[in-house]
Amino acid sequence: MAYIRLENASLTFRMQRLGGTALKDYVVKQLFRRSKNPPIEVRALQNINLNIDAGTRLGVVGHNGAGKSTFLKLLAGVYPVTSGRVVVNGRISSLFDINVGFEMESNGWENIEFRGLLQGETPKSIRAKAAEIAEFSELGDFLNGPIRHYSAGMLVRLAFSVATAVEPEILLVDESLSAGDLAFQSKAKKRIHQLCDKAELVVLVSHDLAAIQSLCNRAIWLDHGQLRMQGDPDEVVEAYHEFQTKKAAGQNEVEKLNGAKSGHEATQQLAIVRSSAPARGDASTDTSTFSCRKRYAA
Amino acid sequence: MEVVNSPDTRIRATEYLSSIWGSRYFWFSLVRMDLRSRYRRSVLGIGWSLLQPLAMTCVLCFVFSTLFGVDVKSYGAYLLIGLSFWQFVTNCILQGCRAFQSAESYIRQQPQPMLIYPLRVVLASGFHFLLSLGISVLLVWTLIGFGNLPALPMILPILLLVFALGLSLAMIASVANVYFPDTQHLAEVGLSIVFYMTPVIYTKELLSQRKLDWLVDINPLANALELLRSPILFGELPNLWRLGVASGTIGIVCLFACALFFSRQRMLIFKL
Repeated sequence: MAYIRLENASLTFRMQRLGGTALKDYVVKQLFRRSKNPPIEVRALQNINLNIDAGTRLGVVGHNGAGKSTFLKLLAGVYPVTSGRVVVNGRISSLFDINVGFEMESNGWENIEFRGLLQGETPKSIRAKAAEIAEFSELGDFLNGPIRHYSAGMLVRLAFSVATAVEPEILLVDESLSAGDLAFQSKAKKRIHQLCDKAELVVLVSHDLAAIQSLCNRAIWLDHGQLRMQGDPDEVVEAYHEFQTKKAAGQNEVEKLNGAKSGHEATQQLAIVRSSAPARGDASTDTSTFSCRKRYAA
Repeated sequence: MEVVNSPDTRIRATEYLSSIWGSRYFWFSLVRMDLRSRYRRSVLGIGWSLLQPLAMTCVLCFVFSTLFGVDVKSYGAYLLIGLSFWQFVTNCILQGCRAFQSAESYIRQQPQPMLIYPLRVVLASGFHFLLSLGISVLLVWTLIGFGNLPALPMILPILLLVFALGLSLAMIASVANVYFPDTQHLAEVGLSIVFYMTPVIYTKELLSQRKLDWLVDINPLANALELLRSPILFGELPNLWRLGVASGTIGIVCLFACALFFSRQRMLIFKL
């Protein structure tokens, strides 16, 4: 039986502000001991404990940047955990980022085969599915031409058709419920529902709260990388919804207050930042803003 | 099958190798596509990759024979082997630098053993290398004769060594370029320096006359090249000493590459 266990799973990104460090910069840095490009730590997921058993259709809600997609990629094995453990039992099929990673010079059929192989099919099994995939994509003769000539919508159709031609044990879905034009969208929705029925275990990330309520039998709410709530989808969605509306109302109040009080200060602050930024370079902008704010707050 | 993802999971070498074997269809199709897409829109097709070493060989042969009176018959094949080998090494390193970046969208979608991406580079450039090596053998047969036939099978284990060297270089380049984006540029500079320290267009004897033998001995590239040349050009088995030194230097590069690659590969995705 398929299952997923997370024990104190955390994921911390250490990002460089300006891409990577050139080797020559690195040498200079080692010599002078002063970093102009300090790494930023982002705690994308913190101490998540969760058991997902077979038969679960788990919905994941949360605001943008709460760690939903990271959570999914962690389950898929794309990201390693930085502490804790993730144990996955079962073959994973994932539906995220399905629109990238095509070979632009190759034609549709070749891409179907190639994407199938990426998903773990054998040449034999993907050839058996190719006709069905082509039919579902409704691309017809276009499949014989290089996908360089495809429109964005056509590419999405092809991507969706290949990505969903799987027999999933564990299915991870991220926001891919909206694909292509209206007619295709309803078709796609149906296909996702069918897939969810076939899979032993489903994790669905979506901003469409209604979809989560109708598809899932359990839900979690992620907030700033932390597991804020778990339980019945209706309850979780309701709590999340309530929180969102409250937050929106609160934000309005704050904006009103700010607007009345500090119009003058804000412009002055901006002027200072502008005048100091070009001279000191990119990295120092943040600190100067910060010190300005402090001064005006005091 | 249970898969555990945690900072202290140690993957055993056999498991890693079997996971590479498990995704063979995928990386094999990547290699095939690399080969196919390069020639898709050219009339010469596969000949393109051979053009560079062949043209260089012709030009250098002409120059050296007229200026220094070198015997073209033996020098031609000598040069072709050297230049093809050098192109293989250059490709492994320079394309190896881009191995992860060019595969980023796959890496972000589906976990695959990271080694398949440098492997892809080495296999694609290895294919061209084998082609031009084949031409060198034909060249020797037409110009000098079939004297090398009994020694030729020896080339298989030597090719294995060369392949290991190419893969190690690609592994190092690929990881280094993720951490330091200027690696490719520095590698180009480094390669052009090493080119003149390696007996690619001149012979090893020129170095030994000046008591610079050690330059060849410590250089894994020069060692590999010496090993390659002896069975094809002279029809003789490489001597044991050379074989030992070559395995030693290449082994060191291999060990370094593995240590670097396997200590970094888990966290590489955060740097992409």
